[in-house]
Amino acid sequence: MRFLGFIIVCLTGALLLYGTGEFPDWGDPDSPASTHLSNHYIEKAIEETQVPNLVTAVLADYRGFDTMFETAVVFCAGLACFLLLRDFSQKKERFYRHTPTGVILHVKDSKKTLKVGKEFEHMDKDWVPSDLIIKTVCRILIPFIQIYALYVVAHGDFSPGGGFQGGVIFGSSLILLAISYDLKTLVRRVNEKVIGIFAALGVLIYVGIGVICMSMGGNFLDYSKLAPLVPGDPHHIRALGMLGVEIGVGIAVTAAMAIIYINIVSEGRHDEGL
Amino acid sequence: MDNTPALIVIAPLLAALLAGLAVWIEERLSYLIALTGLAISTFSAVKVLMQVIDSGTIQYRMAGWAPPMGIEYRIDLLNAMVLLLVASIAFLNLLASYKSVDQETNDRPGSFYTIYLLFVTGLLGVTATGDLFNLYVLIEITSLTSYAMVALGDRDRGPLASLNYVFIGVIGASFYLLGVGYLYLKTGSLNMVDVANILSGIHGSSTVLVAFILCMIGIWIKMALFPMHVWLPNAYTYSPVAFARIVAPLMTKVMVYVMIRLMITVFGFDYVFETLNLADAVVWLATIAVLAGGVMALSQKNLKKMLTYIIVCEIGYMVGGAWMGNQLGMTGAILHILNDALMTFALFLAVGNMVYRLKKVDLPDLQGLFGKMPWTMAGFVLAAFSIIGVPPTCGFFSKWYLILGAFEAGAYHFAAALIISSLICAVLFFKVFEICFFDPMSEGHGHGDSHSHVTIEEAPVSMLIVSGLVSLSLIVAGLYSGTIVNTIILPFLK
Repeated sequence: MRFLGFIIVCLTGALLLYGTGEFPDWGDPDSPASTHLSNHYIEKAIEETQVPNLVTAVLADYRGFDTMFETAVVFCAGLACFLLLRDFSQKKERFYRHTPTGVILHVKDSKKTLKVGKEFEHMDKDWVPSDLIIKTVCRILIPFIQIYALYVVAHGDFSPGGGFQGGVIFGSSLILLAISYDLKTLVRRVNEKVIGIFAALGVLIYVGIGVICMSMGGNFLDYSKLAPLVPGDPHHIRALGMLGVEIGVGIAVTAAMAIIYINIVSEGRHDEGL
Repeated sequence: MDNTPALIVIAPLLAALLAGLAVWIEERLSYLIALTGLAISTFSAVKVLMQVIDSGTIQYRMAGWAPPMGIEYRIDLLNAMVLLLVASIAFLNLLASYKSVDQETNDRPGSFYTIYLLFVTGLLGVTATGDLFNLYVLIEITSLTSYAMVALGDRDRGPLASLNYVFIGVIGASFYLLGVGYLYLKTGSLNMVDVANILSGIHGSSTVLVAFILCMIGIWIKMALFPMHVWLPNAYTYSPVAFARIVAPLMTKVMVYVMIRLMITVFGFDYVFETLNLADAVVWLATIAVLAGGVMALSQKNLKKMLTYIIVCEIGYMVGGAWMGNQLGMTGAILHILNDALMTFALFLAVGNMVYRLKKVDLPDLQGLFGKMPWTMAGFVLAAFSIIGVPPTCGFFSKWYLILGAFEAGAYHFAAALIISSLICAVLFFKVFEICFFDPMSEGHGHGDSHSHVTIEEAPVSMLIVSGLVSLSLIVAGLYSGTIVNTIILPFLK
């Protein structure tokens, strides 16, 4: 079996090498990929879409339909994680710490719960002593990361960036919060219901903009038809449409990242982990 | 601007998201939303099919950009037929699934509907699109949702089956993507018609050959052509019934459609059958697939698993027909996409009814079923006859075209395999009928076994109606197969 696998790998490799024989040269300006469609995008994109960033113009306008489904893929991944991992059953064991003495209590009966407050503190099974430096640095850093994420989303039309990147940066700030404090802190702040709704809402914004374009008498996702709805220069309507779409992508990606992270680290229980 | 072509795909997508939101308000609502979305989609598909028959190919520009720059939906007779098939089967299955979804995914039916609709959206998008990369993105959506669904099924074996499916499925999708990358290198375009135009000038290129092989292997893995079928039987057997009923008839058939689309529209008949010398080898592969599928089905002890091996066998029919290189074979293959989807759907609906009452469908569990669930069994018998290929049912007609095509191409081995596999199916189904016909042996009474006291009733009416309707449609499709061939398939192949 192993030998058979080896032969198949060799054959595939040989096939791929055979295919490279007639590749255009590296960086060849006359290759089909850089003469056929690219020229149109480079010459006409700014004129047609009013967006100086060509990548965004192709991603969110010329091929915006693909990007919509890519967002749906991210949403799918989050939903699948929730569906497969989420465990609503109560945890069997719990750990508490008696704050004044530092004694750790291990409660094995799931029905018994201690009142968490001044006297007792909830504790993770793999508890790591809190580190003042890490917590403080992260507390200062997280708001800046989030602001930066918003910039990346909003600035997608003009510079490298956009919904996917911004969403990932925002999501990573949430993950940083969970790592530097603990998962409970994160779950307290972003409720499960809220991130669930946000994940669907993000994709819905994208599809919704498309459907509005359709109801205004254009094709699906034809942003130019939005002009009567938005005040301001109708010239920039495509850029505005792209911004709207990017915001949707950003929300969906942020929420999906949070869902995936929380469900995987806590094995679906949303109480403790990492 | 007429937006019906886009609505076919957008309506289920929108419904999926709304159903996902509705879960938090009222769970029942998400079922209604899902049903509405698929009803709109089916209705639009009917409208588009009528339009295409009347006035030819429809082109729809996404975001209004002209084809090679933007993405276009290009719906001709073949897509329109497959679109209607997918949308209506998804709709009917949802009607039949109301009760079984509650039974199988007890705590989160709302999310089930969301995933289900996204899966259907993916299949519809794959069928409607005229863009090679858009096709890949939608294949990704169908695959991702089906991995999740399979893992949701059987508690013990579902996750492992899903994991196998993930590994092999991802390899298949990567092969296809790599093929598209090679094509883009040589043509600089992703639009199918545009690529086809550029390719006609560079048929001799080795890169194009490799691109073709990569795309085909990717699609074959996704459609489970023997020996790349190993993921299919377990994945389909252990997934929830409501999902098995739709993935079994549709997923593989849509992939066959993609293969035919690539062969006809993108690479072109001239390239596939004249420049390349692969047709004989592929027909041999299909012959082996047909025989192997039949033999493996024969050795199964679980009804659901047996049927999944029959799917492997049917895939062989369609691949063989499409690679025959003549009009008759291609007609048979396309007709078989339609017929096989209906037959498999009818079979799985009947099996779904059995699972609803019996919980498991190992062959010995089926004893005495003719007496207990007569209507379900009637549907099952009709679908089985169609798979075997008994004349008034539709299965006969597509097999007839396939055999004629095989004779014309001189592929007698394929014709022989077809007949042998039909005989195997006959043996197989009559074995099942025999088990179902006789009541359990009376030994149970002597031991006071509680098993014999369980009374099994007929399935709920909502499931029976759909099952009956689809089974009858097998005869209708059979009687009208001449019309289908003359109005849809032959004009398409011209």
